[in-house]
Amino acid sequence: MAMAALRREGRRFLLSSASSTPITARSAISSEESCLFGARSISTQIVRNRMKSVRNIQKITKAMKMVAASKLRGVQTKTENSRGLWQPFVALLGDGLRGDLITIVGVDVKKNVVITVSSDKGLCGGINSTSVKVSKALTRVYSGPEKETKYVVLGEKGKAQLVRDSKNSIELTISELQKNPLNYTQVAVLADDILKNVEFDALRIVFNKFHSVVSFPPTVSTVLSPEVVEKESEAGGRLGDLDLYEIEGGETKSEVLQNLSEFQFSCVLFNAVLENGCSELGARMSAMDSSSKNAGEMLDRLTLTYNRTRQASITTELIEIISGASALEG
Amino acid sequence: MASTAAVPFWRAAGMTYITYSNICASLVRGCLKEPYKSEAASREKVHFAVSKWANGKPEKPTIRSDSPDE
Repeated sequence: MAMAALRREGRRFLLSSASSTPITARSAISSEESCLFGARSISTQIVRNRMKSVRNIQKITKAMKMVAASKLRGVQTKTENSRGLWQPFVALLGDGLRGDLITIVGVDVKKNVVITVSSDKGLCGGINSTSVKVSKALTRVYSGPEKETKYVVLGEKGKAQLVRDSKNSIELTISELQKNPLNYTQVAVLADDILKNVEFDALRIVFNKFHSVVSFPPTVSTVLSPEVVEKESEAGGRLGDLDLYEIEGGETKSEVLQNLSEFQFSCVLFNAVLENGCSELGARMSAMDSSSKNAGEMLDRLTLTYNRTRQASITTELIEIISGASALEG
Repeated sequence: MASTAAVPFWRAAGMTYITYSNICASLVRGCLKEPYKSEAASREKVHFAVSKWANGKPEKPTIRSDSPDE
């Protein structure tokens, strides 16, 4: 684009200089990017400005990549440790639904609440649109007569995408979660708020599970409400094994199940938020890496154009001088 | 068993198990000595904004900040 502008500018200058009055020449290229008055060369100012801006962008993206990389290291350890929190629950209550769409449909409930975990900030590749897409797909899977699906959205970016076509089913949005480093207390308070404000039979938490810096597949984990868990455990199956455990204290089974499912929710949510935060940083890292690479390539091309134009103008000047001198001699 | 007897009380007070366990956890953290205590306290910071939606419109967000227990 800069090239084209440059060429245009040059042609105009040539045309106007043909009339050979300096005033008209100046008015023809009255824009600020033009060259100095009376100069014969094509203006390189535009290219120089563009080079400067591209260089600045590259600096910024490089810095963002560094920041993401250093943050990632801390969050990754935290995330890996937090996996130990939900694993016992899967063993006991049998999530078994992680990522497997067929078994999710197996537990059929009326009120589904999809919790979409996304990030507050952008510039992190496609992780937010992935979780939004999966949430929408889940909504379609669960839709049916006498059923309703609501959204609880974590993070600004997911909210912005879901508002467009399903704003009527958004129940709750949460943002600014990552202002401080993520911790369990925070997520627990959040989980508490969700439990108190939303009615549900099953919570489906959608997030990007962190596998490596370049791979974060969208994942669904399910938390059933205590009533549903109780019904399931009476029906037998995996949840029926709960009776094999010896439970201390005088609580009834429903109380135990209620406590368990509440605690399971906060643990799973904690893990989900951490995994998503980790994936966000990883995605941002690779996105920023490729954008600084692109900026570098662009800069190379611009430098080439710039040097070529400069060289051309020098050559033209030389030719003019030499031919002038030989005309005097001859 | 004190814990057994306590269950109905916090339930009756409108608390969930999460709140209950958080209060217990912050009590345990309070038993630490310095410097571990302030270190653990830094892991207790809470900050986020919640807004409820009604009829496709968000209500004014409420900010929950640094209040681990109600």
